[in-house]
Amino acid sequence: MVSVRTSSSGTVANPAADELDRLIHERIRLGIVAALAANDALTFAELRDVLKTTDGNLSVHARKLEEAGYIRVTKGFEDRKPRTEYRLTPKGRRALEQYLQQMEGILSAARDALERA
Amino acid sequence: MHEQDYAKETLAYIRQTMESASTFTAVSGWGLMAVGAIGLVAAGLVWRTGTPTDLNVWLSAAVLSIITAGVSTTAKARILEAPLWSGVLRKIVWVMAPALTAGAVLTYALAMEGDRHLLPGTWLALYGAGVTAGGVFSVRVLRGMGALFLVLGVIALLAPSVGLPLLAIGFGGLHLGFGAYIVKRHGG
Repeated sequence: MVSVRTSSSGTVANPAADELDRLIHERIRLGIVAALAANDALTFAELRDVLKTTDGNLSVHARKLEEAGYIRVTKGFEDRKPRTEYRLTPKGRRALEQYLQQMEGILSAARDALERA
Repeated sequence: MHEQDYAKETLAYIRQTMESASTFTAVSGWGLMAVGAIGLVAAGLVWRTGTPTDLNVWLSAAVLSIITAGVSTTAKARILEAPLWSGVLRKIVWVMAPALTAGAVLTYALAMEGDRHLLPGTWLALYGAGVTAGGVFSVRVLRGMGALFLVLGVIALLAPSVGLPLLAIGFGGLHLGFGAYIVKRHGG
């Protein structure tokens, strides 16, 4: 669980920057990982539609996640048309779970601070 | 922004994204195929009796199809441990409701006026309008299915004499085809 600092005013400080997974801290990359966590696999077009982003933006962020081993990419053909499919790897799922715990930790700390106030 | 606000917003974003993505799997392909089979059986029944717009048959098929779709969607959501009544599903239902309500009202009006030959085109076009609109919140393939229903509806309105085959192609064939696609692509 992430450590959270509380100021005298009750404001909860961010977890230390290096504790957050910077790779999925970015909104589109977090969206990719979250969408894939809810599905076995999604195609490029489906991911783009869910995240309401552009082809270029999705490509750039998906490549970063692939390089980190968070997602697995399968390229092939269906009815002679190119088809790119993405799946979440166990490493990616663990990263999302840890990130969720960190966010929940912030809220939990904020609730504790409110109760003490 | 306070950190807790950021965390709340982030968690909401994750939940919303997962809900949006889960609509791909929440639609049961098997259920859609069953609805297609019901459509084909209904078309076969009215063809045998020689009354293509027999409301007893088609309304029974519609009720059975709604029940089948509801049960199959619930079953799939349970299997996948996905939220059944997600924000996206709620939006889809609300967006489809006006077109389907208009279809019900027009069915009554056309039947009362004796214009039953226009019913197949009306059903296909309005169902297509509803699915196309609902598909905005889902996968593109759903919009494609809605658009095909719309095309069939237009043809049936222009050429009412082929209404029954078009009903069989739409409510039978399209549901079977797109249902099979969802089974293949989205795990059942």
